[in-house]
Amino acid sequence: MSTVQLRNIWKIFGPNPKYVYDTMDRAASRGEILSQTGHVVAVRDVSLEVARGEIFVVMGLSGSGKSTLVRCLSRLIEPTFGQVLINDVDVTAMNADDLRQLRRHTVSMVFQRFGLFPHRRVVDNVGYGLEVRGMELAERRLKAYEILQLVGLDGWEDRYPHELSGGMQQRVGLARALAVDPEIMLCDEPFSALDPLIRRDMQDELLNLQHELHKTILFITHDFHEAIKLGDRIAIMKDGAIVQVGTAQQIVAHPVDEYVREFTQDVPRTKVLTAETIMLSQEGKNALSGEAVLYNTTIEALIPRISATDALFPVVNAADEIIGVLDRHTVLMALAES
Amino acid sequence: MAQTTLSQRNRLPARLHSLLSWGLFAGGIVILLMLSQKLIALDIFPENWNIGLRDVLNEFKRWVVVNRNSHWMFTFFFEPLSAVIDFTLRRIENFLLWLPWPVVIFAVFIFAERIRGLRLAFLMVACLLPMGMFGLWEESLQTLALMVTAVIFSLVLGIPLGIWSARNDMVEKILRPILDAMQTMPAFVYLIPVLLFFGVARVPSIIATVIYALPPAIRLTSLGLRSVSDEMIEAADAFGSTEKQVLRKVQLPLALPTIMVGVNQTIMMALSIVVIAALIGAGGLGEVVLKALRRLRVGSALEAGLAIVFMAVLLDRLSAALAQIERHSIQQFRGYRLFSEKQRGIKVIAWLERGISRVYAFGVTLSVQVEKYLAKTFGPGAGWLYNRADWIVISLFLLLATILLLLLGVQDFPAALHFDISRPVDAMVQWMQVNLYNIGDSGIGTGPLRDFLIIYVFKPLRTFLTDQVPWTVVAFVFVYAAFAASGWRLMLSVLALVLSIGLIGMWPFTMDTLGQTLVAGVICVGLGIPLGIWSSKSDRADQMIRPVLDFLQTIPIFVYLVPVIMLFGTGSVAGLIASVLYAAVPVIRLTNAGIRSVDVALKESAQAFGSTWLQTLLKIEIPLALPAIMLGINQTIMMVLAMVIIAGLVGATGLGLEVYQGFANDNLGRSVEAGLAIVLCAIVIDRITQQFARKASQAANIN
Repeated sequence: MSTVQLRNIWKIFGPNPKYVYDTMDRAASRGEILSQTGHVVAVRDVSLEVARGEIFVVMGLSGSGKSTLVRCLSRLIEPTFGQVLINDVDVTAMNADDLRQLRRHTVSMVFQRFGLFPHRRVVDNVGYGLEVRGMELAERRLKAYEILQLVGLDGWEDRYPHELSGGMQQRVGLARALAVDPEIMLCDEPFSALDPLIRRDMQDELLNLQHELHKTILFITHDFHEAIKLGDRIAIMKDGAIVQVGTAQQIVAHPVDEYVREFTQDVPRTKVLTAETIMLSQEGKNALSGEAVLYNTTIEALIPRISATDALFPVVNAADEIIGVLDRHTVLMALAES
Repeated sequence: MAQTTLSQRNRLPARLHSLLSWGLFAGGIVILLMLSQKLIALDIFPENWNIGLRDVLNEFKRWVVVNRNSHWMFTFFFEPLSAVIDFTLRRIENFLLWLPWPVVIFAVFIFAERIRGLRLAFLMVACLLPMGMFGLWEESLQTLALMVTAVIFSLVLGIPLGIWSARNDMVEKILRPILDAMQTMPAFVYLIPVLLFFGVARVPSIIATVIYALPPAIRLTSLGLRSVSDEMIEAADAFGSTEKQVLRKVQLPLALPTIMVGVNQTIMMALSIVVIAALIGAGGLGEVVLKALRRLRVGSALEAGLAIVFMAVLLDRLSAALAQIERHSIQQFRGYRLFSEKQRGIKVIAWLERGISRVYAFGVTLSVQVEKYLAKTFGPGAGWLYNRADWIVISLFLLLATILLLLLGVQDFPAALHFDISRPVDAMVQWMQVNLYNIGDSGIGTGPLRDFLIIYVFKPLRTFLTDQVPWTVVAFVFVYAAFAASGWRLMLSVLALVLSIGLIGMWPFTMDTLGQTLVAGVICVGLGIPLGIWSSKSDRADQMIRPVLDFLQTIPIFVYLVPVIMLFGTGSVAGLIASVLYAAVPVIRLTNAGIRSVDVALKESAQAFGSTWLQTLLKIEIPLALPAIMLGINQTIMMVLAMVIIAGLVGATGLGLEVYQGFANDNLGRSVEAGLAIVLCAIVIDRITQQFARKASQAANIN
């Protein structure tokens, strides 16, 4: 049951992208296409599905096409080829009016450099999406106050953005996106411009909010740690294409290539890997001696329990069924594998 | 070794080339001189080539006069337009004159205080009070009404056009040359057709002002909108704004500071032709200046001129403050600190400051109370209302004050506060006239100087250009300069332009004007470049010269025209001196700026090789500053040409006088021909000097 489906999205920048799309060699690299046609392939054949209520992180270095990809979703950038489906409705086929309605009600966005309107007070920034929908002044102000309280900015309503700190400004950006009560939120590197400490606060804030609100969030970042912390699932992009999609554990435990491995290298594996990712099949091992381990226990939490014993632990899922086993040897091997 | 041969190979043809081109130039002149001896048509511009433009125009004018009340063009277009403008002007003027004078002053004061602070507010009062004290309150408000009306119409036209051209590259491309032309053309040129269609009165002067002041409004609106960042527009798009919503809620508000800069420039442009507009019946301060000028009453001219200057300062500072307005959410009052610690030692000042602080604190407290009350009464939805509580309080106060003062019969500026400076000024000028005109009959003084200039410079030059040199030679010099500056294309268009001057029968007058322009230009450059170099070399000189230049550029030309006339009498010399005062500014400024912007590293490396001060200047600084200097010369010459009409007004012969006399004698065609000749002249000289400036910057390898 996915809210957002991207099917074979291509985005080519240049004077004549359609022609280049039709005629180019699909296997050619970005550099080759650039030198042959003068066109830049920003997004290359991306297909994704984002489930309802999920935080889906697209992670990639600058120039990997992640910001372009997220803009293709609400057609702030028109994809050259491919289909975007939101709740099974084809966004790529929408006319201007329907698209505007989609942006007003269903999809909202948080920007890297906040994108706050400097000439509007905080409350009027937050109310902007409601205002363009045509909501009455008093009503949208009340709604804005409510959302500002939610993000912890009550008392700052009548300030102008430049009077706020960076972290507070992005709270306003978040509030503005939340105010329209969207189903889907697009976050384009929202925390990259913030100091590390404030960034961590904001990440926690987002997780808290998500815990209450259950939005479908497509989150862009260049920071792998951020991706691991926030993402239910992560897609890694390189040169416009997706290299690997999976949960943080899957990616850390089984990077598909050297490129992905680079990112996973300085990730503290004990904090990411869970019992489920490292367990072995139960077959032929009947001498279960340890207490049951829940599937999502991190290695960090496992170590004190297994370090002093040779026991074989069963790993159980949420329904308390045994799905695998592990022992001290399994854990050590998983840690060595990096 | 290889290098020597290379440079030798290059040097010889280069020399030959320059020799050849000079030879061509000299040869052309000699041939034309010889031919003109035989062929009269080459000597004096043939009379029968005159295409008789003035007859056509005068015929047209007669037609307009006959049909003014019947033709649809007038009854359905010009008359209604005229009526709308007249209505607006009358309403604004009557309103301003109806307001009691203290209310006007206080309104300006408090407005300035709100947008910038007390300092500006006091400056505004200091600008307004003299207008009343000189007994020019009514005239000042008339001028203000004229300005406001002209500016309103400029903005009503200019902002939509600016928006359109920001959103449409094609429109921008079409508008640009038109705006350029509107800004470079002397105001008189369109004053005349405007007069024709609207008659003499205040409406045509407003229309002329609007035409003159419109370009900055359009340009800066377009610029402001175009420079709104894509990020803002994307954010607005992402929330599903319609195009109109993006424009109204995001682009226009963000472009507002730039648009306000345009408003500021529009106001200043409008103000700069107040006096010229008075020529066609605009009334107000301009008329006072003109009348005083005609009667040679320096004192009253100076008073009215100063009132214009004060008006300029007032409107400039106020609109500039509006352009830089900062958005702050809450009123923070920490008490006013207007004076330094030392000044505060004086009891009166400390007392004054405390008084101001108290009054201000009272206003803030009142506003905050009103804000709280409104917030309580209307709820959070009315934030837009109570966020502006201070304005509500101020408006109510002004309304009450108006009613009260009107009941008390206070309206016009009281005569008891008049302070006349015209008499002492008149006395001083008289003294100067008596004592400086010819100091002690020694043959030194302004009178002999004028005679010298007329007898030994202007007369011979005019005779030389009009009678001694065949017209073909003058034309050849221009055409050749165009060729040397740019190439065939410019040469051909210059040829066409120069011929046109002759074809409309303005050749002799143009030569007269050209001679004077040449003299003024040479004096400007001769004075301006050394002054510019001096002020680039000495910060102290720069500090001394800069305010003088600012002064010369902001005050209306007419103001310093008066003392010049008193000292030199009317005629070409007065025109010359006024032109030099007005036009020397850009060459000084740009020489200074050009030399100052030369890279320090380059100067150091020149000094490291042991260059003297003079060598550094001549070999490094001036060549590198040459593009800026050339641009300054270009602007200076253009300003001299812009002064031609005003010089004509004070009796300088040539095209300016032609325009003015055509005007005075109801000979429209004559005025238009002369005006057109000025424009043609301006275009020719502008194009040629601009191309030379471009060449200079290419030579200096500066982009």
